[in-house]
This record gives sequence, structure tokens and C-alpha cells, in this order.
Amino acid sequence: MTANKRDYGDLLVLMALAGFTLWYLLDAIRVSSAIQNLLLILPLSLVVLAIVALEMGMRLKKGTLLVREEREGEPLHRTLPVVGLFAAYVLSLETLGFDVATVLFIAAFLVLKGERHWPLLGGYSLAFGFGVAFFFAQMLPYPMHMLILPG
Amino acid sequence: MIDFVAVEQGLALLFTSFSPWMVVVPGIVIGLIFGATPGLQISMAMAIFLPMTLYMDFVQAMLFLTAIFTGGSFGSGIPAILMNIPGTSSAIATAFDGYPMARQGKHNQALGVALVSSVLGTLMGYVILFVMIQPLSLMVLKLGPAEMFAVILWGMTLIASLKGEQVLKGLMAGFVGLLIGTIGFNELGMARGTMGQTYLLDGVPVIPAMMGMFAASELFKLANKGFIVESKASRKVKLGEIFQGFKLAVRYPWVMIRGGLIGVFVGAVPGVGSSVSNLLSYVETQRRDEDPASFGKGNPKGVVASESANSTSEAGSMATLLALGIPGGGATAVMLAAFAMHNITGGPQFIRQQTDVVYAIIFANFAQVFLLLVIGLLFIPLLANIIKVPMRYLIPSVLVLAVMGSFGLTGNMTGPVTVLVFAVVGWIFRHYGYSVPAAVIGMLLGAMAEKSLLHSYQISGGDLAYVLERPVTLLILALLLVSLFGKRLLGLVRGRKTAAGA
Repeated sequence: MTANKRDYGDLLVLMALAGFTLWYLLDAIRVSSAIQNLLLILPLSLVVLAIVALEMGMRLKKGTLLVREEREGEPLHRTLPVVGLFAAYVLSLETLGFDVATVLFIAAFLVLKGERHWPLLGGYSLAFGFGVAFFFAQMLPYPMHMLILPG
Repeated sequence: MIDFVAVEQGLALLFTSFSPWMVVVPGIVIGLIFGATPGLQISMAMAIFLPMTLYMDFVQAMLFLTAIFTGGSFGSGIPAILMNIPGTSSAIATAFDGYPMARQGKHNQALGVALVSSVLGTLMGYVILFVMIQPLSLMVLKLGPAEMFAVILWGMTLIASLKGEQVLKGLMAGFVGLLIGTIGFNELGMARGTMGQTYLLDGVPVIPAMMGMFAASELFKLANKGFIVESKASRKVKLGEIFQGFKLAVRYPWVMIRGGLIGVFVGAVPGVGSSVSNLLSYVETQRRDEDPASFGKGNPKGVVASESANSTSEAGSMATLLALGIPGGGATAVMLAAFAMHNITGGPQFIRQQTDVVYAIIFANFAQVFLLLVIGLLFIPLLANIIKVPMRYLIPSVLVLAVMGSFGLTGNMTGPVTVLVFAVVGWIFRHYGYSVPAAVIGMLLGAMAEKSLLHSYQISGGDLAYVLERPVTLLILALLLVSLFGKRLLGLVRGRKTAAGA
């Protein structure tokens, strides 16, 4: 994957890290500018910002700031559907309940990844989804939101 | 150092009746199951089964709880090796080389290495505890917040610089992790970075964040693969290869001894414990190795270093609990509750007055490690079958376990949402070459680092000269500098000598 194509991802991550650090530092100062509150946060934030600046400076000097580097794994866009599906699962837990949401997530994942043995797909999704949801609901001391099974 | 009359009484406590032993096997099995299930913590297992100890006498209760602890310490390494999900934070470094070994089809050997390292590590830890319990308790008393902060800083810097070629990105990830670890209320009751959300007041839930960054992000990366191990022939579970792992582990006695010593001493520091010791041991082993580049790619020494350190940490944290009555972490905190349930207070007086009970607990743990070897061997073939499962089934199943487990840890949706957020962060970090372990360790240690620094500030009144009066702090800081620049300085000196000789 070594190519001289432009890639803004690395720069965006650096900017995001710097942005988060700056926001957190300002938020901490807003809460209190007492030494006790900033004892660790202030020097650490300054170090992070300095490292970000150093990294950007070094890459600018080398002319590699916007150049795509060789990376482990697949391109981000090929994994995006899986990430989206997982996000949908987590965000639907409160609506669909841990039982139904889990069954649907497993079934959708299997379909997405090419499983076409429908009895196996349905059987596994139902057995694992309901089984795990029931196990955790019994083991945990807090109520778990369920649509069908006892919570 | 050793009270032989108490030794005799301790042995009598254990062997006059069979009843103390009846709880050991169930305890190890419970620990193995909870440790090996991502999201279920050893401390959770101990807390769930704590009420049962009400019906036991004190020695039996301690045997039961330490058996869960021992089983869990090894159990947490199993998902770390097979799925890259450390069952607990004490098995983080196990995943560094254990999982690459599994991906190369050496999962049997990796599990064998982990089992033997755990067994010998626990044994070594309790032998050291037996000999050193009294001097160790005095030493722990001398460790103040300045030393704890120095230990954290040392560990953090070493971990961040693990990936030699991307030190700056490692440091950035680690330090941003430390900042995230300080989100929420500090010691003075000031809430930072919560964005007005009440669920962040106690900080970012670290274990769900760890599950997201380590497990979920790795699974995203593998989403388009067929199996963890692509070669069909390599997916078989072979007892012979597990035994090869045994031999492999014993081949590196110094790695094990170093891990054991780091485990005991770091484990004895309250609040630091096995979460840090496994990483320190790993980093030290990598640093001293002739081929440091082979670490992270399936070097068995990495598994030995981590597992021996996290197993001996159990003995270290038991030392602090018994000698000072201070729990080193979640598991020993539950044990402290068991102490209270039996009207016993840990501390120097407890060691002096009930030395026989202390020795009985230590001797029982000698026996537990052999039981762990047998039970672990029976369990490994069952658990190692995980790698035969196609990834399209394994990935959603493990993600579901992580989500449910995170809900179990927080009791509300904060856990699952944290897993999701940090899964995405970890996925991006991995893609762009930022150190995920450094970020996770930073998050784990952030609050502790801030607390230690604040306490040091309060004690010293802001006078930096205070550090100069703390020889242990200076020693740790010197070690930090040697770890970071020692090799480079040595290279410079050698280069100059060669140039002068030419």
C-alpha cells in the first residue's frame, strides 16, 4: 500500500489529538485554575501539544505529512460496514432490548460476511443471542432491558 | 525471618481436617471461567461468591477466595492469547505475543507457556511471600506517593516507547491516555472534561474502554478474514504441543525469575499491582533481549514475562493485604471484605498474632498451584477450540460478550457506549500506527498518577527538594533514564572507544 497518494487521515488524527488536549486543558482551567487541579493536566497537555507540533514539523520537513504510509490491516472503508453494524447494535440495546438486539446483530453480521446457510444462521443467532442475554441477566445484579426474555 | 512454631501450627490448621480443601477445586474452576470470559472480572467472581464464605471458617474462606484469584490469573490469559482480549488488565502484556503466536498456529504452545509460567510464577510468589512477609511489610510502609508516581511514570514511558520506530506516536497515545484517565472528579471534588454528563463524573470506565480498544478494534481489523489461524492444519488442539509450551517456558528461567521479582514487588504497591507488573516485566524482557524486534510478533518470552509477573503479583498484593490491611486492587478488596465478615483486621498486628493463619494461607497456595496445573490442562483443550470457529461467527459473538460484560461492569449503558467509542478510537489508532497498549495503560493509570502527584505536592508543600530526600524515588527515576537512554549512551561510549582505538 505504499503510494504517493494524498492521505489526510494522519493529519486529521494529529489535529484531533491536539484538539482534544487543548479542549480538556481549557475545560480543566475553567473548572479551577488552582495548582492542585492542574498539577498533572497542565504539564502533560503541554507535552502532548509539543509532541504533536514536533511530529508535524518533522513530517513537514520530510515532506511526508500528507503522504500515505504503509499501514497494517485493510483500508478503513472496507471495515466501515462492520463498525456501522456494531454501532447500530450498541445504540439499539435500549430500544430492542439485549435479547432481540443481540440476535439481530449476530444474524446481520453473518449475512454481511456471506453466511448463506440459513438454518445455521438462524439457529446460531437465536441460540447464542438469547443464551448469552439470559446468562448475563441471571448473573448480573442489575436489571437488563429485554424485549422477550425475563430481565 | 521465619517463625517455625507458627509454620507447624499453620500446617496443622490445614491438615487436621479435609474441609479447608473442599473449596479449592471449585474456587479454581470459578476463577478460570470468570477469568477466561471477557468482561467477567476475577473481582466480580469473588464478590459474587463472597456471601458463601460466611458459612466457612476464616482459613477455608481465604482458601476459596485465593483459589478463585489463582484460577482467574491464569484464566485471563486464555482470551488474551486466543482472541487478543485480556480477560483482565493483568493479562494485557500476555496478548502482545500470545495472540501473534495463536495467529501463527502456535496457540497450543502459547497456552502451555502461559500455564507453566502462571503455575511457577504463583509458586515463586508465595515462596517469596513466605520468606519475606515481615520485611516486605516494612518496605511497603516506606513507599509514598512520590515513589508511586515515579513507578507510574517509569512504566508509562517504557510502554509508550515499546514500538521503537514510532516513539513519538507511542508517547502521544500514552499521554493522551493519561489525560483521559483523569477525566471526572479529582481528589478535590473538581469535575473536569465531563461535558456535563453525570456518567462521566467517576471518570471514563476503564475496563470497557480497554475492551473496546483492545478487543473490538482488533476484531474490526480481522472482519474480512476467514479464521484467526488461516492454515487448517495449525488449528488443531494438541496436548503434545501444550507440553512443548511447558518446555518452552522452562527454557527461559531468567525471564521467569525477573518477572517473578517484578511481580512481587510491584504487586505489593497498593493500587498498582498486576496491571503494571505484567507490562514492566514485558518491557524489561524486551529491552534486555538480543532481538527486541521479535517481541510483539509471537516471541514466547513475552508470554513468560507477562504471566510470571501477573501471577507473582497475587502474592505481592496478598503481602500488602495481610501486613497492612490495604487492598492492592479489586480482588484483594473483596478479600478485605471477607476479613471484615470474619471480624479480622489485616495489619502488622495480624501478622504477629495470627502468623499460623498467614502461613496456612501461604501453604495452601503452594498446593493450589499444582491443582491449577491439572485443572488448567483439562480446561485448555476445551477453551482452545475457539480458534476452530470461523471469524464470521467468532467476531459478533466476542463483540456481544464484550458489550454484555461492559454492561455488567457499569450496570448501565455507559459500559456498552464506552466500548463502542473506544473501539472506533482503537481502530483508528491501529490504522495510523499509534500505540493502543500505551493509550490503555495511560487511561488505567491517569487517576492514580494524578492522585500520587497531588499527595506528593501536599506533603512537600510544593518544594521540589522533597524529591531529593526520597532515595527510592531517585532510584526509580534513575532507572527510568537508564531504561530510556541507557542503550543509546552505551552505544555512544562504545563508538567513542572504537574511534579512539582506531
